[in-house]
Amino acid sequence: MTALLTIILSFIGALVCGLMPAGAHRRIRWVALTFAAAGLGVSAVCCVNYSGGEFGGEFADRLDAEWIPSLGIGFATGYDGISLPLLLVTGLVAVCGVLFSWSLESRANQFYAFYFTLIGGVYGVFLSLDLFLLFVFYEIAVVPKYFLIAIWGGARRQFAAMKLVLYSFGGSALVLLGMLAVFFLAHDASGEPLKTFSLLALQEGQVPAAAQQWIFPVIFVGFAIMAGMWPFHTWAPTGHVAAPTAASMLLAGVVMKLGAYGCLRVAVGLLPAGAQDWASWVAVVAVINIVYGALVALKQDDFKYVIGYSSVSHMGFVLLGIATLNLTGMTGAVLQMFSHGVIGALLFALVGTVIYSRTKTRMLDELHRLIDRMPGIAWVFIVAGLASMGLPGFSGFVSELYVLIGAWGSLSGWIVAGAGAGILLTFGYTLVKIHEAFFRERSPAVDNQAETAYPPMTLPEKTGVAILLGAALLIGLCPWLLTDKISPSLKLMLERFPN
Amino acid sequence: MDYQQLLLTLLPDLLVVVALFAALGVDYSRLRGSRLAKRYEVAFQISAAGLIAGLAVLVLQIAETMPVMESTADGQLELTRSTLTLKALLYAMGLGVLPLAKRDQITPQVSEYFALLLLATLGMGFVVTSRNLLGAFVALELVSLSLYAMTVLNQASRASAEAALKYLTFGAVASGFLLFGLSYLYGATGQLDLTQMTGLKYSPMLVLAYLLIFVGLGFKLALAPFHLWAPDVYQNAPTPVAGWIGSGSKIAAAALLIALLKPVSSTLKDALIPALAALAVLSMVVGNLGALRQTNLKRLLAYSAIANAGYLLVGVVAFSAAGNTSVIFYILVYSLASLGAFGVVAVLTDTLGRDAEINDFNGCWKTTPGLAAAFLVFVLSLAGIPPLAGFLGKFYLFFAAIEAAPEAASWHDGFYWLVAFALIMSVVSLYYYLRVLKAFLVAPADDGAAITPSKIGWAAGVTLCVLALAVVALGLWPEPLLALLKNPS
Repeated sequence: MTALLTIILSFIGALVCGLMPAGAHRRIRWVALTFAAAGLGVSAVCCVNYSGGEFGGEFADRLDAEWIPSLGIGFATGYDGISLPLLLVTGLVAVCGVLFSWSLESRANQFYAFYFTLIGGVYGVFLSLDLFLLFVFYEIAVVPKYFLIAIWGGARRQFAAMKLVLYSFGGSALVLLGMLAVFFLAHDASGEPLKTFSLLALQEGQVPAAAQQWIFPVIFVGFAIMAGMWPFHTWAPTGHVAAPTAASMLLAGVVMKLGAYGCLRVAVGLLPAGAQDWASWVAVVAVINIVYGALVALKQDDFKYVIGYSSVSHMGFVLLGIATLNLTGMTGAVLQMFSHGVIGALLFALVGTVIYSRTKTRMLDELHRLIDRMPGIAWVFIVAGLASMGLPGFSGFVSELYVLIGAWGSLSGWIVAGAGAGILLTFGYTLVKIHEAFFRERSPAVDNQAETAYPPMTLPEKTGVAILLGAALLIGLCPWLLTDKISPSLKLMLERFPN
Repeated sequence: MDYQQLLLTLLPDLLVVVALFAALGVDYSRLRGSRLAKRYEVAFQISAAGLIAGLAVLVLQIAETMPVMESTADGQLELTRSTLTLKALLYAMGLGVLPLAKRDQITPQVSEYFALLLLATLGMGFVVTSRNLLGAFVALELVSLSLYAMTVLNQASRASAEAALKYLTFGAVASGFLLFGLSYLYGATGQLDLTQMTGLKYSPMLVLAYLLIFVGLGFKLALAPFHLWAPDVYQNAPTPVAGWIGSGSKIAAAALLIALLKPVSSTLKDALIPALAALAVLSMVVGNLGALRQTNLKRLLAYSAIANAGYLLVGVVAFSAAGNTSVIFYILVYSLASLGAFGVVAVLTDTLGRDAEINDFNGCWKTTPGLAAAFLVFVLSLAGIPPLAGFLGKFYLFFAAIEAAPEAASWHDGFYWLVAFALIMSVVSLYYYLRVLKAFLVAPADDGAAITPSKIGWAAGVTLCVLALAVVALGLWPEPLLALLKNPS
């Protein structure tokens, strides 16, 4: 029951913040920080409880209650090595989201009400062991995004919010259809229909291979839309850019992971035969994601769009890792979800709040020698950028390495070559954009403020940067902290694959 | 026949009838010269007392502490737990309309307004319990005639009169179709008692009978292409009345449709499914695409009602016990949310003096935060967002439709295609639901807002709270209601 506290705390946080008076934004942010930190604390406790290998990759902290028995729906929760890193990243990003929104004043009570509803939904998805419950939490996480973007967002926020929500629900519609098909078609070893939404029961049973042929793409695409899969990724850059910083951190850090998690847990976990048939197609799309995202990022003038497209590119590695269908590659996929969760959130925080609040512009050609004018911030960004690029010592390096080794083992050489080219492009756009933002002199230095220095980072900003960068560094140096937990659970999933 | 038993069984209806006459009598005699506000207050109290008393008896009957004759007068009424539950919920929702009607004092014909409301509620109670073709038809006409009259109550408005006339003429034609269909059904089976009809086999006569019935009930449910009256009536009828047209009368019509389709056997079923599926697809398209262009909130809700009637048929085509329960559950939760949405609109706009456009609600999050939050719940439920009841309702419909033929060999076998279509359409619907919510929750308060906060009044406040709580609770914990609605048979 420990893990369930994350969900409960988040929803209580939403309620408490929502009911506080709008003017009390100073108190509200402390309350919000408390609830977010409590959620992170609970995830950390779960993580400690799970280590030591006593569970052998099985689900821990199980709760199995009846909910709507007449429809085969239960309230089942629990976590294993696949959900644990994601719980952690949700907690980390939730805390840092509050820290980077420290100066938010307008409608702060409603902001945190939507914020914590979203986080509660995200925790719920990662903890659900019932397909219906998972879907409910998945949808709970969608609606607050609309309001977070539409109310507190930047330019073109109405358009971006609507686009994001319609894409999300389009994906959900596919998932719901596939889910119903799984419910009615899954049977146990003796051919008895299961008629249950319980993930554990469905994992043990099987769906007829012919049906998996069409159900797998339906569910996979449904979830992958949320993971930013090409060609359904277009909601991601516009949504990320228009969103307020805390929301774009959540979007890039955890919401895209919801989609990837659904692909892994539901599509691949329940429909292994379908996954085997479609793996090469998924891999092709994943490589397109990596290369296309990187190329588009290279062409952007708006700093936030660069980060937005780099997210699309990095999520391609997650999809590629899933498509390998082997232990190494899939471990890499889960690790990449964690890694991109913290680094992506950090980059959005730096660009969206730390730099923007000082320069009041995100257009790269309006920035002038920031390295001189905000040296501390510039160096932090450069380190974060290198981490995102996959510099050894940071988590991104480990995860991409795992994915590539996995891909080498099971996919065609062309795929690996494509992904390799994507990595080179990532080097390219990261270095080019760092140069443009921090080192380039703006040709006609029109405004006379051009040489003034900006104030250094505030304490909340420093704390947030330290947490996120620290997490990326820690996992980069000691990846076994997570892989020890991820691999046994994935191994169990792979053992259920037909040969 | 045991008359004492019969009286006890029909006690809820009798109590409502007594309240109806009491409201009329008091208003005509003692209060003839009183102020309008006083007359509204008294009529409201008497009507509410009658409905509460009726509701209390119904609850006792459902709990089986009061005796009920399961079937009265040769199957005229079937009073099982499930039909009684429906009746009780209709009374409860009727009770919820009363405070809204009291606030919106549009007409000097006070007692008639409340008497007609009670009469409509009474009729709905009979429609959902009746199992006799003629009895059900008469009860449905009682509902319709009361609603026609209430639509025109706003005498100051020409549009109200026009809408009522439209409603009446369309409605009369539809009733003709329904009666024609029922007479064919009677002719083919020799039965008026629906419980005596079983396993109706395919015959051209029966197919024709059912097609005519679909036209008649399609009008009441606002299914496309029989929906043309709905936008005008929803927009121009007094808002509480529009709310009652959009909720109570829908429940009655849907329950009757299910009752009429129950005796159908599988051969006849196969002949009816294409017609029902076509109606479903057409309603979803017309409703959802029509709603996209609306700027008037009540008109938008009318188109959303058309679309929702389309979803409803997805459960009907399943022709199964689960399908029937899902249809009733769906129409119930839809009606709760729809009544709630109309309630919020009524409370916010009855001082406005004109039709409310969507933009008029800009900034409600600041001026009336409680109402904005309630409206969020209602609209998200209409849109089918979990964990609200509307989602579960839709899910159950789709569940039942897929269950009817899960192992479809090709896309046009079974109902995967229909469910997929309904899902796509619900994504479309989200666009206009969010547009409405944007006005309520996103737009800044000074952006063309015309709504000034007025006192809500405890009765209307309690009604909206209860409706919002019901929408949340039925989404989180639907099992008790599902168990009540499932027929033992």
